[in-house]
Amino acid sequence: MWSARTGWALLAPTLIVLAVTGLAPFFYVLYVSFFNWNVFSAQAGLSFAGLENYRRLVFDQAFLSSLWITIKFTFWAVLSEIVLGFLLAQLLTRDFPGKAFFRTIHALPLMVAPIAVGATWRLMMIPGFGPVPYYLQQWFGIEYNIGRYSGQAFWTTVLMDVWHWTPLVTLTLLAGLISLPREPFESAQVDGANALQTFRYLTLPMITPVMLTTLFIRIMDALRIVDEVWMLTGGGPGAATRYTGIHLWREVFPKTDYGYGSAMSMLLLYFTIVLSWLLFVAITSRGSRVT
Amino acid sequence: MNSSPSKFKSYLLPLLVLVLLLSACGGQAGQTPTVGQTTSPSPSPSVASPSPSAAPSASPSASPSPAQVQETPQATQGAASGQWWRDAAQKAGCVDQTIRGVTESTPPSKYAADVLAKQFEQATGIKVELETTSWDQMYDKAIKDMEAKTGIYDFVYTEQDIVYGYMARNFLVDLTKMMEDNPDLKAPTFDINKFTSFIDYFKDPKTGHLYGVPMESFIKTYVYRKDLFDNPEIRAAFKKQYGRDLEPAKNFEEYRQIAEFFTKWGKDHNMQLWGTTVQAASGHPASFYELVETIFPSWGIYNWGINTKTYKATVEHGGQMNSPKAKQALKFWLDMLKYAPPESTNSTWDEVAATFAAGRAAQGWIYGENVAWIATDPSRSKVVGKVGVALPPTAPGVMQDAKSGKGYIGYYDGGAFAIPYSSKKQKCALLWLEYIGQPSVQPEWAAKTARITLTETFDDPLVKEVDQKTGGYFTLMRKYGDLFAGAPPFPFHAQVREVVAPFIYKAISGQMSPDQALDEAAKAAEEEMQRLGYGK
Repeated sequence: MWSARTGWALLAPTLIVLAVTGLAPFFYVLYVSFFNWNVFSAQAGLSFAGLENYRRLVFDQAFLSSLWITIKFTFWAVLSEIVLGFLLAQLLTRDFPGKAFFRTIHALPLMVAPIAVGATWRLMMIPGFGPVPYYLQQWFGIEYNIGRYSGQAFWTTVLMDVWHWTPLVTLTLLAGLISLPREPFESAQVDGANALQTFRYLTLPMITPVMLTTLFIRIMDALRIVDEVWMLTGGGPGAATRYTGIHLWREVFPKTDYGYGSAMSMLLLYFTIVLSWLLFVAITSRGSRVT
Repeated sequence: MNSSPSKFKSYLLPLLVLVLLLSACGGQAGQTPTVGQTTSPSPSPSVASPSPSAAPSASPSASPSPAQVQETPQATQGAASGQWWRDAAQKAGCVDQTIRGVTESTPPSKYAADVLAKQFEQATGIKVELETTSWDQMYDKAIKDMEAKTGIYDFVYTEQDIVYGYMARNFLVDLTKMMEDNPDLKAPTFDINKFTSFIDYFKDPKTGHLYGVPMESFIKTYVYRKDLFDNPEIRAAFKKQYGRDLEPAKNFEEYRQIAEFFTKWGKDHNMQLWGTTVQAASGHPASFYELVETIFPSWGIYNWGINTKTYKATVEHGGQMNSPKAKQALKFWLDMLKYAPPESTNSTWDEVAATFAAGRAAQGWIYGENVAWIATDPSRSKVVGKVGVALPPTAPGVMQDAKSGKGYIGYYDGGAFAIPYSSKKQKCALLWLEYIGQPSVQPEWAAKTARITLTETFDDPLVKEVDQKTGGYFTLMRKYGDLFAGAPPFPFHAQVREVVAPFIYKAISGQMSPDQALDEAAKAAEEEMQRLGYGK
């Protein structure tokens, strides 16, 4: 009994901080989402709207389109990062000249703040100033302009995210790979398994829990991307890179549509929770099967 | 007992100091004369009305000669004594206090933060912390602070376009009333009658009370490369191709021809030169603003194409946003992208100025706040001494509309510092606002950052000197300022911008045709206004 009380007492500060910084804003946003509240509307203050904001969301083409391109972005960015990260992690399990140097250089993007990443990429990609469009034009005759061509802008944001976050995947998977037990691999070698078989039947199943966890983290991050893209394209051209984070920001801040923006936040939170839950189930079920 | 020579020395030294001081004051007075030498400020000041016969181009030759400068009536020194500021700060209980403000990172704001804030602190003992940030962030921070009444900021920057929204929400302190209620805090050198008519944008249209003290104002005008336009070889080639002399464009066909000509000229001569700037960032409201505040009015579409009486935007409901003329204007503007540097679809106001300063465009529409540094600062601009300014090209009938007050030919922009109701140091902030509105601080501020808020500043020799270097920008602003106008008094400014802008972005990137973009934009604007409770 005493120990339980002590436990709660020790947990109390954290719980209080969590309640104030996490739960209170959550319930406030939930509350606001049932109201019309725009600072510059003819009627000042909040007016009850019931579920109207949520109904509007379902038919809001701009929001749905933003959600769709966010999913597309997340899929391509995270898939590329996992594949590339895994290959690099495999490479780093072997010895080769300059390995330590490569590992350091490779991890550098992780240390750069997202906003700085966006700014740097912008400087490289803007036609007239940046080297990338210049050399693409000079060497390959490609007209590269992320302010004009939607496809180029979209894929540039994917590439930027891959550049920024692949090192995280590499390091996580590398940690997973080097911690795998050696015995199964030695047995496989004795049994005459080739590299592909070893990978298919040993490495992949054993690294999957780590991979799923990494996937989980990266999906959550990619879904709420704002800073880098904000700096690089501002969501343009058109709405080609107006991912949900940017769309939501524009609704809530410049447009000051607090009620509708809150409803949008709640829906995105719901969407993220569902996705997280699915991944969580996948990870835990996999974990229980392994054990 | 002192000998005569040493006695003489003891008088000589103070005398010498006095002479030096007087000569220093004399030099100063040559630029900004002392109190009492005021020009006769008109009761309702305004920038001078345009003369119908006046030539639209303001060439440097229009600037006064040194002899004319001598003849010009001297402006007011207008600085309240240091003692007055100290006493006022003390009476208000502001000494050693810190006031905080937020403003857009513009050349005039930076000057206020770097120069005026320090001077003010020396005069009053009040410290000013002025946060200069991006335009979006500035509004974001200011609105959140005022809405939540947190009182973080004691003064905020407000552009004339959003001030009506702020007034409608009672965010701002009524400065007229505050000065009436606190006569001790009314600086003798602060006189709202000395401001240009731009100050009217910061007055409540119903009461005439003041809600912001203008700290910058400028016109967005037509800027061209004078060196290229004057080059005999280029002039001959242009005349050969188009059968007319190369002069600043007066209409859109001339503008297009010039843009086409210089783009080809740049290509043929292996130069990084294009025919025009276009502020067409495809994910930033800058493109929306260039369209609705610069291009639309010069085509005869005023107030963004929104009917100010009914708050309707579509042609079907009496608006103009999707009218044939508006569609023609948008097509013209998008067509200019062919003749603009490749960075144009990523360019906001800053990048457009940088493009012109880098010598990459022969002509364009540039915000006046950038004209001074483009024309005078060799550390940032490659076109120093090569800049000309003129009135922007217009469609038939627009100039007449502007002269008669029915319309306007372009954008008269600027901003003011205002005091939020939520500020806990309103009196201290009022002193700061008065300080920056004094005549004495204006000339250098104007010369460095191309902004003028007081009529008499135009006559200052320092300003006239810069005027010559900028190809007559200040002359143009003074002479034709009345032809330009600020944003319409919409309380829903940002809200409508946010729904219309994405369609403009889509038109820029080709995801929508110009016609479709404006049809959808007008519809969306109307829906938004209705949702906000306007124009039902």
